[in-house]
Amino acid sequence: MRRRAGVGAIQRQKIQQDKFKEKGSEIQENQLEQMTLQMEKFRENLEDFAAKHKNEIKKNPQFRKQFQEMCASIGVDPLASGKGFWCEMLGVGDFYYELGVQIVELCVATSHRNGGVLSMDEVLRKLNQRRRQDNQISADDVIRAVKKLRVLGSGMEVVASGSSQFIYSIPGELSMDHTTLLQQAEKAGHLTVASTASSLGWTNERVGRTLDHLLRVGVAWRDDQDRPASYWFPAFFQQCAVAE
Amino acid sequence: MTDFEWPWQYNFPPFFTLQPNSDVRKIQLDAWCALVLSWGKSNNVSQIDVTEASSLPVFRNSAISRALPADAIAVVLEELAKRGNLEWTDKSKRRGYLFWRSPTEWGQQIYTWAQSTSRINTVSTLYEINQGDETASEEFHGLDIDVLMKALKALEASGKVEIMDFGDNQGVKFL
Repeated sequence: MRRRAGVGAIQRQKIQQDKFKEKGSEIQENQLEQMTLQMEKFRENLEDFAAKHKNEIKKNPQFRKQFQEMCASIGVDPLASGKGFWCEMLGVGDFYYELGVQIVELCVATSHRNGGVLSMDEVLRKLNQRRRQDNQISADDVIRAVKKLRVLGSGMEVVASGSSQFIYSIPGELSMDHTTLLQQAEKAGHLTVASTASSLGWTNERVGRTLDHLLRVGVAWRDDQDRPASYWFPAFFQQCAVAE
Repeated sequence: MTDFEWPWQYNFPPFFTLQPNSDVRKIQLDAWCALVLSWGKSNNVSQIDVTEASSLPVFRNSAISRALPADAIAVVLEELAKRGNLEWTDKSKRRGYLFWRSPTEWGQQIYTWAQSTSRINTVSTLYEINQGDETASEEFHGLDIDVLMKALKALEASGKVEIMDFGDNQGVKFL
């Protein structure tokens, strides 16, 4: 004869469940604790590492980039503020602020001839010229420094896609269309309405309107002696970029 | 034409088209004025004839098949005149003196030369000043006679020389 489930059985089951739960949360807590410990350890190591390789980080652009990536993977941003361990320890915050100021200076100093667009090559060449041989900067540094400047408003932007990289400091934001044409120009040096329209699959009207805007903001120059008229960009004209 | 170094703009094709954007055009005219003056200085060009201007190498770059159109040349020359670097010889504006130094600056140079070579209170002919052996190393050696005259007139106005007329020849007494 089968015994019916009694009150005792239900209570037993309940106690069992509670025990399971207890054990479960205990394990979870353990894991969390261990994870926290691990993270803490990793952080410590990273800080040790940073302190040890402070000079290397400051001087070697390749090293700096990898260090930045490592920091990002654990959610540490050495650039987040001017205070705190990272900055005091490394001075990296200042490093990027200073670099940012130098980039702004370069943009201002050259904007009369390039209209506010600078190719990454020119930025690196001009800035590295002024730096010691063992203290050079990379494109990655420039991109980070310009991103830092965003807190000051949307005055400056790095456009980077594939091999074409340039910085623009034009008042008012550029639309996707403008950026796309600048990328085309960076590759080709100069553009005509028809050839650009066919290579991008745009209408002539769309290309024309976008180029007109680039003329208005002073980034592009028109050459009427070319047939058909072509649009040129001092920023992407080699001899202009090397001129002092 | 020996060692004149063309600025980058000279090889930039749209430089030879007046730009529609007024800000850019201003930058462009600045560059044109600087180019014409430095070219004039390097080639010792003191006068520009408007009708012949389009054949001057400064206004055309055959390497990139670009030439500044006549109306644009007129704009550049007018801009130079506005800045005091060009003076029309007549009202019809067909010819102008190109001053890559102003007559006052030339006068200053000539007077400094006269001082350093103890010519104060002596008389020199115009030929001695712009052609003589003793000025061979001076910047004003070979200076256009009309421009030289303007320079000396400027000096006379400030009381530093006295211009003398010897009939077929002219001279100055440095004071």
